[in-house]
Amino acid sequence: MIKYENVLTTCPYCGTGCGLHLQVLDQQLVGTLPAKNHVISDGGLCIKGWNAHAFVNHPDRLKKPLIRKNGKLVEAEWEEALALVAEKLGKIKTKSGPDSTGFLSSAKCTNEENYVLQKFARVVIGTNNIDHCARLCHASSVTGLAGSFGSGAMTNSIPEFETDTNCFLIIGSNTSETHPLIGTRILKGQKRGAKVIVADPRQNQIGQWADLYLEFRPGTDVALMNGMMNIIISEGLEDKQFIAERTEGFEEFKALMAEYTPEKVEGITGVPAEKIRQAARLFAMQKPSAVIYAMGITQHTTGVDNVKSTANLAMLTGNLGIPGGGVNPLRGQNNVQGACDMGGLPNVYPGYQAVTNEEIQKKFGEAWSCAGPTQVGLTVTEMVHEAGEGKIRALYIMGENPMVSDPDINHVRHCLERTDFLVVQDIFLTETAQLAHVVLPSVSFAEKDGTYTNTERRVQRVRQAIPPVGEARQDWEIICQVARKMSAAGFDFKHPREIMEEINRLTPSYGGITYERLEELASLQWPCPATDHPGTPYLHKGKFSRGLGKFFAVPFKEAAELPCEEFPLVLTTGRVMFQYHTGTMTRRSPKLEQEVPEAYVEIHPDDAVRIGLNGNKHVRLTSRRGVLEKVHVHVTDRINPGVVFMPFHFAEAAANILTNAAVDPVAKIPEYKVCAVKVEAA
Amino acid sequence: MSDRLTSLREAIEKILPDLDGVLALRSGPGGIVSPYLFTKEHPDELAKLAIWPKEPVPDTLKIILRAHPQAKLAIVCRGCEERGIVEMFKHAQINLDNVTLIGLQCEQAEAEFCRCAKPFTVHSKLTVGQPIQGVPDPLTDKIAAMSQPEKLAFWKQEFEHCIKCYGCRNICPQCFCNICALEDEKWVQAGRLPMENPSMYHLIRAMHMTAKCVACRECEETCPAGIPMAVQFRLIARDVKEMFGYETGADMEQKPPQLLVLEEGEYDRTGLPH
Repeated sequence: MIKYENVLTTCPYCGTGCGLHLQVLDQQLVGTLPAKNHVISDGGLCIKGWNAHAFVNHPDRLKKPLIRKNGKLVEAEWEEALALVAEKLGKIKTKSGPDSTGFLSSAKCTNEENYVLQKFARVVIGTNNIDHCARLCHASSVTGLAGSFGSGAMTNSIPEFETDTNCFLIIGSNTSETHPLIGTRILKGQKRGAKVIVADPRQNQIGQWADLYLEFRPGTDVALMNGMMNIIISEGLEDKQFIAERTEGFEEFKALMAEYTPEKVEGITGVPAEKIRQAARLFAMQKPSAVIYAMGITQHTTGVDNVKSTANLAMLTGNLGIPGGGVNPLRGQNNVQGACDMGGLPNVYPGYQAVTNEEIQKKFGEAWSCAGPTQVGLTVTEMVHEAGEGKIRALYIMGENPMVSDPDINHVRHCLERTDFLVVQDIFLTETAQLAHVVLPSVSFAEKDGTYTNTERRVQRVRQAIPPVGEARQDWEIICQVARKMSAAGFDFKHPREIMEEINRLTPSYGGITYERLEELASLQWPCPATDHPGTPYLHKGKFSRGLGKFFAVPFKEAAELPCEEFPLVLTTGRVMFQYHTGTMTRRSPKLEQEVPEAYVEIHPDDAVRIGLNGNKHVRLTSRRGVLEKVHVHVTDRINPGVVFMPFHFAEAAANILTNAAVDPVAKIPEYKVCAVKVEAA
Repeated sequence: MSDRLTSLREAIEKILPDLDGVLALRSGPGGIVSPYLFTKEHPDELAKLAIWPKEPVPDTLKIILRAHPQAKLAIVCRGCEERGIVEMFKHAQINLDNVTLIGLQCEQAEAEFCRCAKPFTVHSKLTVGQPIQGVPDPLTDKIAAMSQPEKLAFWKQEFEHCIKCYGCRNICPQCFCNICALEDEKWVQAGRLPMENPSMYHLIRAMHMTAKCVACRECEETCPAGIPMAVQFRLIARDVKEMFGYETGADMEQKPPQLLVLEEGEYDRTGLPH
C-alpha cells in the first residue's frame, strides 16, 4: 500500500511560528510544503522553513546513548545510560545538596518537554537552578517589560502589522533575515501605506526598504530613543490622555528627557538631529505605531534600559492596548516564548508564578505533592560560571549548545570541563555534547508531538510525521524515565497531551489551550484562561497587567567595552538568513550550507584600507578574550566605519570566542552586540 | 462549492477500489488543506476531501511516481494543474501510462482569484463541475499599460523585496533542473541578503519559464514578499505563442519550442532525470 500525506506542523527555526507541511511518503520524509491559509505564514516560508526536513535523516543523527568510558564517548544501551544518570544525579544531590545541580532547558523543545524538565529540577532534585538561552536573547525583555507593563511578552500580533500598523519603528532587528515572514508582513503593511523607520548600525534589507533609515553607533539605543522622546514632548505630540489615565512616573521621566536634545543625541549616536526629529514626528503622529525590536536592543549590558526605553516610547505616544501598536520583541527561537512560559527560568514556575511567593509555593507543593525550593536559582551565565568554580557539580543540558552560543567560549569550555557530571540530551553530537559524560539521543521536531509558542504568544501544535530515528527517544519520555528511576512520583505521562492537561491546571494563561481546541482552531494566543476563551491577540487593553504602566527615567550609559587604541573596532554579532544559531541543524541541511558555508566578517571599505587589507581575502580578529586566526572578509558599505559584523553560527570560527561575557546587572544577559576587537589582514 | 465537492467525492469513491490511490486534497487541523493520497484501505478519509485552496499537486504526483513507477493512480487536477502535468510529461518528468486525470472545473470566484485565462481542463476524460470562460487579468493589464520608466521602477522595487526563499522555484511544477542556475555563483551571489542583484535571480527564472510556465500562480501564492512574478511569465507566454505557436498544456503531442530540434525518439522519456 502506498501512503502519502502531509503532516501539518510548526517550523522548528525562528520564533515567527510559520506553519508547514512535512511531506511523508511511506513513512519517509520527502519534503516540505508551505501551508496555505495559515494565520502566520499564509502559504509562504523562508529558505529555512523550506528546508526544515533536510537535517532530520542526516547520518550524524545520534541513534544510541553514549557514555564516556576511559575518556571516550562509546555507545551504550538505554538501560545503562538512564541508570547511570539517575545514580549520579542522586549521589550528587545527596552529597552536595540540590543546588549543586543545574539544568538548561531548551527553546528548541516543546512546551511539554520544558514543563517536564523544570518539574524534574524542582521536584526530583529540588532546585530552581533552571534556565535556558532566553537568558542570552530576551532576558532583558522579560525583565524590562515586566517592570514597565507587568508582562514580559510581545504585546501585539503579527497579522496586525499587515492590517493595522501605520508606523513601524524597527530598532535592532534585522527582520527580513532573522524573522523573514514577519519582515514580509511589515512590507505588506508598508504597501498599504504604513511608514517604516529602521534604526540599525548595519544597513540590512529592511533598512533598504525603510522610509527613514537611522544608522547609529552600536550601544547608543537609549540615547536615540530618549532623543526621539525629547522631541515628542517638546513639540507637544505626546498622548496626554493616555499618560494621565494609564501611566505613572511621567514627571520624573519628562525631566530626564529634557536633557536629551536632538543635537546632544546626534553627538552620541551619530544620527543627524533632523532625522531624529523626522522619526519622532512620524512615530507620534502616524498612530497606531509599533516598536519592533530584537537582539539589537536586548543583548547589551544596558539591555533592560533599552527595553524600558521602547516601553517609554510606546506609552508616551499611547500606542498600547490597541491593535497595530505595542512593544514587540521578536523572540529568537521557535519556542523560546514557551520555554519561558513553562517556567524554564530560575525565578518562576510555569506562567511566571514567582517561586518566592508563598501562595504559589503552596499551590505547586500540593499539585506536585512535594515542597519545592523557595529561593531563586541561578541563571545560565551564573550556572556556567559556578561550574567553573566547582560549585555546580552536575549539569543537565537539554537541546542547548552553549559551546557555540554563549559568550567567551574559551571560558565556557573550562567551566563545563570542570563539572563532575555533564548530561546532554540532543539530536546531534554538538560541541557541548562532545564534552558530556552521558549523551542521550532525542528525537527531532519531525518525530514528536507537542506544542510551540511563537513570539506573539501563539500556541501551535507540532505533530509527529515519522517514527523516531534510530533508538532516539522523546525528550519528555527520557526525563520521565530518569525521574522514575529516582523513584519520583508524577512522571507517568503517556503522551504530551497528558502533560498539557497538567499545564492547563497549573498555568492560568494556558488554562484553555487544549489539544482538542488546537485541532479545531490550529492556534490560540495566551492569555487564554478557559476553554471558552478565544485567546488574546493584543495585551494591555484598558489596563496593564501591573495596573498602571510605569515610565522609567532611563539615562544613557555606554557599553561595557569600548574601542581603544589596541582594539580599535567594535564587533557586533548576529544571524544570517541561511543559517540558524549554532548551526546544528542548518549546517546539516545541504541547501542552507551551500548558501553560507563559512563564517565571515563584514568591514567598511574605509576600515579595510585602514587595516591594510590590500585585497586580502582573510583577516585575523583579536579581542581581550580570544583570537580567530583566519576569517573570510566581506568588504561592504552596508556597515558603518568603525564597526565590524560577524555571524555567530560557525563553531570553527566562533564569534563568541571574541565576545564579552559582561552582563546586564538585572537581566544577566551578555553584551553580544558590542565588544572591542583588533582586525588585521591574515 | 459543496455540489462540486459531493460530485468529486462520488467520482473518487467509484474508481478508488481499482486504484492504488487518488491524489487530491484533504482538509486538516484548523481547516488547513494539503495534498493527500486517498486509498481504498482508508475510504473514511474521503469525508475530509477538500478542493480549495488549490495546492501544487502535479509535483506531488511526481514524488509518488518516482517511488512507485508502476502504481495505478488518479489525480484530481484543475486546468492549470492539468497543464502542469502535460508539460511535466513532455519534459520526461512523469509517465502517465497508469495515471487517470480527474478534471476539476474552476468556479468564477476561483478563476478571478487566479486571474486565470483557462480555468478548465481539456484532456481529462473524467470531469467534475461545469467549465467556465477565462477571466481577465487586471494586474497584468495594469502593469503592461505602465510607461517604460514606471515599469522599470516597479520591477526594481518588487525584486528588492525578494528574501531569497527559493519558494517560487521549489513550488514550480516546471522547475526540475539537476543543477539550478540560481545556485550558480557565476550568476547569483550566494548567502547574502539583500542580494546584490535581485533582478538577476528573477530574470533567470523568467527566462527559464519561457514556454514552460503553465500559469498556475503557485509561485506568486508562495512568495512571502508578494512579488507578482506570474505577470512576467504571462507576458512572455504571449510572445511564445506568437513566435512559436505554442501554448503550454494545450496539446499532448505538440513539441515545446525547447525540444523542436530534437529528432523523434531522441528524448528518452523513460530516463526520467531526477
